Amino acid sequence: MSLQANKLSLSIAGKTICSDLDVCFNPGEFWGIMGVNGVGKTTLLHTLIGLRTINNAKNNSSKNSKPETGYITLQQININDFRRIELAKRIGMMLQEYEYNFPSTVIEATLIGRHPFINGWQMEGSHDKQLAINALKKVGLENFHERSVNSLSGGEKRRLNLATLLTQDPDYYLLDEPVNHLDIKAQLEILDLLKEKFALQEQCGVMVIHDPNLAYRFCDHILLLFNDGQWLSGKTKDILTRENLSRLYNCPIHLIKDAQHRLFVPLKSSSSIES
Amino acid sequence: MLKNHPYFFLFSLLFLVLISFLFALTTGSGQLPSQTLISLLDGTASPLFQSLVFELRLPRALAAFAAGALLSIAGVLMQVLLRNPLADPYVLGVSGGSALAALLAMLMGLNTLWLTGSAFLGALLSIFLVFSFSHSKGSWSISRLLLTGIILASGWGALISFVLVISPPEKIHGMLFWLMGDLSYDRPLLPSYIILLFGFLFSLSISRQLNILLWGDLQAGSLGIDIKRLRTYIFFISSLLTAGAITLAGSIGFVGLVIPHLIRLVIGADHRLLIPASALMGGALLIIADTLARTVLAPQQLPVGVLTALIGVPLFLYLLRRSQ
Repeated sequence: MSLQANKLSLSIAGKTICSDLDVCFNPGEFWGIMGVNGVGKTTLLHTLIGLRTINNAKNNSSKNSKPETGYITLQQININDFRRIELAKRIGMMLQEYEYNFPSTVIEATLIGRHPFINGWQMEGSHDKQLAINALKKVGLENFHERSVNSLSGGEKRRLNLATLLTQDPDYYLLDEPVNHLDIKAQLEILDLLKEKFALQEQCGVMVIHDPNLAYRFCDHILLLFNDGQWLSGKTKDILTRENLSRLYNCPIHLIKDAQHRLFVPLKSSSSIES
Repeated sequence: MLKNHPYFFLFSLLFLVLISFLFALTTGSGQLPSQTLISLLDGTASPLFQSLVFELRLPRALAAFAAGALLSIAGVLMQVLLRNPLADPYVLGVSGGSALAALLAMLMGLNTLWLTGSAFLGALLSIFLVFSFSHSKGSWSISRLLLTGIILASGWGALISFVLVISPPEKIHGMLFWLMGDLSYDRPLLPSYIILLFGFLFSLSISRQLNILLWGDLQAGSLGIDIKRLRTYIFFISSLLTAGAITLAGSIGFVGLVIPHLIRLVIGADHRLLIPASALMGGALLIIADTLARTVLAPQQLPVGVLTALIGVPLFLYLLRRSQ
């Protein structure tokens, strides 16, 4: 049982995001997706969860965009063949940003994660509420239940977004820069929480992340998206090398290494690479 | 406090609706003591009172309730659809098309049945135009929808001014009245109540999806909601509700914008509660406003839209102040 991209070629506004991407996300794995700004990391996540349809040649109406090919499968079944609500029980996503113009409390916002599991006219039961309460506790918002969402700080909103996803608790967690706005201790706490969760071998995380040091520390697999549609995937220690990162960001990277740690330090483009 | 007791809140509003009906039935020229109201029920009251209450005041109060409830639900839906708390049922120009058709019917001197019929058709025409212009190649963005609606609304506004200018002076008073909301003429009630019941049940059935749509299309999509279909539903239902209200009572302002806000200030943004509560509150407000509109300066009648604003503005400002 896995979430899989098969010979996937995507493009946006004429720019190739990936060509013939074959990658398989399995339960128990914690993936990091890395690449420069605008390379298409978010678009790839949206495609994986079916929020963006693949413009195959046959339904490609506009002439100036390149035809896209390939498909996404979940347990060997094309995700387009799932009902949306069934897909939402299996794949969930923490978006890069949320919009909200209306008042709501933290607990209400967390409970929307249960939507796929509640039938039409039903209300949330005590089981759903308990899941939401547990999720808020895990992200450190246990005293915030009745707080208005608009009164939260950026970092607190980010924890709330994660709590909503934890309440949904799908098999696949697609995380678009989940530690944005978090302080450095909170970054470690949240990523530890996720890592422990995926280590239970039942669920899988796919995370867009910019910090190579956090990626090295928490992810066991890495997918690099290069600017020209090329890509590289594999185990973290094989992929996260000084050479690959320098190529990825088109910027010299210095590597500090000891027995357990690798620390990547970006250098100014003009200075020479030391090793 | 009220938030934790939703049923208590809904029952209070139901009680408010009953009170406002009693107020409407007993108030007016020919004051009606409350004992007479009881004698009306067992049929011992004088025929004059019988016809006053059952043929004049009750139908009018029923029309006011329906119009208020229709506008309030339409307001809730329109605010979700455009994800903008400042949206009201008229923002997409539904009322403009309807008003133009109604004024043309008045200009031609048609009877009220034709008047309501053409108002409804005008609203449908406007809905259709907005939908087809904003809905290109299968995708429609909020800003495109809003822009199309606002542009069409200004177009209708110009045509309405034109009709007003070329109309004979003796008809202008009636036209202005209609434009500000008029419940004084006799009209068929059943169609509006059918629209109200259908719209209410439908909105209630999608209320949890409405809660999630407030977080944006992507979040709603990732939680398993078919956004395009949901948006289309909301657009047509809110437009239909608005059309029903306008046909019934002309374009009454303020109710559809403020009632949803007022209820949100008290109980939050959960649509499972917001929709029934807004419907009841909007209905009650309009009954009270209309009763005052026909009595404060009797025998002179005021447009009900003036009264909804006069009652609603202080009430809203008070609640806004208290909630901070």
